[in-house]
Amino acid sequence: MGFEKFGRFGYVSQTKINPLLSYLEKGQIAATKCKKCGRTYFPPRADCLDCRHSAIEWVVLDGKSNLITFTNVFFAPPVFQPETPYLLGLAELTNGLRVFAPISPAVDKEQLKPGLELSLKVAKGSGDNLYYWLE
Amino acid sequence: MGRIGIIGVGHTKFGKRNDASLRELAFEAYSSALDDADIVSSRIDGSVVCSATHYDKQRSPAGVVAEYLGLNPQPTFNVEAACASSAVGLRTAWALITSGLHDVMAVVGVQKMTELSSEEIQELMGRAGDVMWESPFGTTMPAYYAMYATAHMAKYGTTEEQMALVTVKNRKYGSKNPNAMFQKPITADEVLKSRPVSAPLKLFDCCANADGAACLIIANAEKAKKLTDRPVWIAGLGLASSPMSLAGRKGPLTSFDVTKNAAKAAYQMAGVGPNDVDVAEVHDSFSITEILNYEDLGFAKPGSGTRLLEKGETELGGKIPVNTDGGLIAKGHPVGATGASQLFALTKQLRNEAGSAQVDGAKIGLAQNIGGIGMYSAVTILKA
Ligand SMILES: CC(C)(COP(=O)(O)OP(=O)(O)OC[C@H]1O[C@@H](n2cnc3c(N)ncnc32)[C@H](O)[C@@H]1OP(=O)(O)O)[C@@H](O)C(=O)NCCC(=O)NCCS
Ligand SMILES: [Zn+2]
Repeated sequence: MGFEKFGRFGYVSQTKINPLLSYLEKGQIAATKCKKCGRTYFPPRADCLDCRHSAIEWVVLDGKSNLITFTNVFFAPPVFQPETPYLLGLAELTNGLRVFAPISPAVDKEQLKPGLELSLKVAKGSGDNLYYWLE
Repeated sequence: MGRIGIIGVGHTKFGKRNDASLRELAFEAYSSALDDADIVSSRIDGSVVCSATHYDKQRSPAGVVAEYLGLNPQPTFNVEAACASSAVGLRTAWALITSGLHDVMAVVGVQKMTELSSEEIQELMGRAGDVMWESPFGTTMPAYYAMYATAHMAKYGTTEEQMALVTVKNRKYGSKNPNAMFQKPITADEVLKSRPVSAPLKLFDCCANADGAACLIIANAEKAKKLTDRPVWIAGLGLASSPMSLAGRKGPLTSFDVTKNAAKAAYQMAGVGPNDVDVAEVHDSFSITEILNYEDLGFAKPGSGTRLLEKGETELGGKIPVNTDGGLIAKGHPVGATGASQLFALTKQLRNEAGSAQVDGAKIGLAQNIGGIGMYSAVTILKA
């Protein structure tokens, strides 16, 4: 199973944090946690920045988040053009970590503003692609 | 540290240059820089070729550019830092000369983009964001900067009308610059009615992809004084990095820490502050970027960059004229050439050769060049 399944169109196929896909398949979003010092990383990282340990465990996130900023994309790279316009957002999770993610088209655009509470949920792309979005 | 001087500058016409290849564009800029310095090519003991090479068909362009310019067998360096390639190339050459390894070098910023469509270019630019965690969602450069615009608008009440003033100003100055891609002034109404690219940014809030080259010839103090009687001195060099991913950055995304850090280093090295700057070239990749840059460079307080614009303080005759050559918005943005193009404009200003764009008595100039979505930022201060 290659990591290119991650996202609407994945570019990277090989990585140490492949297990993220198994969590997404179960409908969960998971972060990595350093087994030595306990620092949590999202998006997941295989290597701890603080103690340089690479023994990690996975912790499931509740997905609660606050929007920091967003845009509505009209002009897109060719593979994404059929989906335009689409929303992209940056949000802060309850643990203080940040996530860059699409915003579900079901969210009312007029309501969007920094600070808005949203939830990070698993989303299905075309084929067997999996990712997360804010809804 | 000995002083390093700019002794010659050259610039091509920017735009859809379907008449010229990458190497030919580089030659145009290099040849006019040699003429400007009034020296022969054999004086150059090394070249730094600055290009974001993924847009060019030519891989590793330093190879072919050094050959076409007649700069073999001297060492040549390929420098890539996205849109900041040639500012980083200048720092590279500065360090090489300061080390004593080189005396006189050519910094050649060059880019050939328009053999690709804007869609293809935005796919490549989207991958100048984090390719694991962001590009898979369809990022583009306008989308990234639009997210900064949204945040600035929400926090400070900045409006699209205020952002349009940047384009109106820069297109006005572009109309005086024969090298600019866009030669026609534009009205705020035209900007506001242009089609959306990535909300709140519209077509005329964006710079355009372009082909072009610019060249700087720089030398150590001894050679600079011998070769020219009008050197412009590199007084301050600041360069910083920031996380490439937006998720890795802190704060509300209403400013670029990377520019603040680069500015601090450059001001310190030059021994000047923002109030001492007579003329500036800032990276207006998008209208909002110019506003953020005013604040990050210390020309205005956080949130009040728009007031400088409204009061005309960044126009010719204002407190600190900015982008009097039209900036990226009017000149076009041939990524690797832009940093050198900014320094070309400042050199002309400090030599009192900027014609109808001349800032009276300009002695200190500042250029600021952002790479990609702000993972790199370079601030360069020049003194007459
Ligand atoms: C905004 C953008 C997406 C528009 O691309 P597009 O819709 O494909 O437009 P095209 O390239 O097909 O050009 C269509 C026309 O609009 C003009 N045009 C394109 N972009 C323009 C711009 N930014 N400003 C003014 N005019 C522009 C073209 O010159 C062309 O005019 P013509 O028909 O007279 O030749 C493109 O200019 C772009 O990607 N800009 C941003 C570049 C960027 O991100 N650089 C890095 C910054 S860090
Ligand atoms: Zn650790």
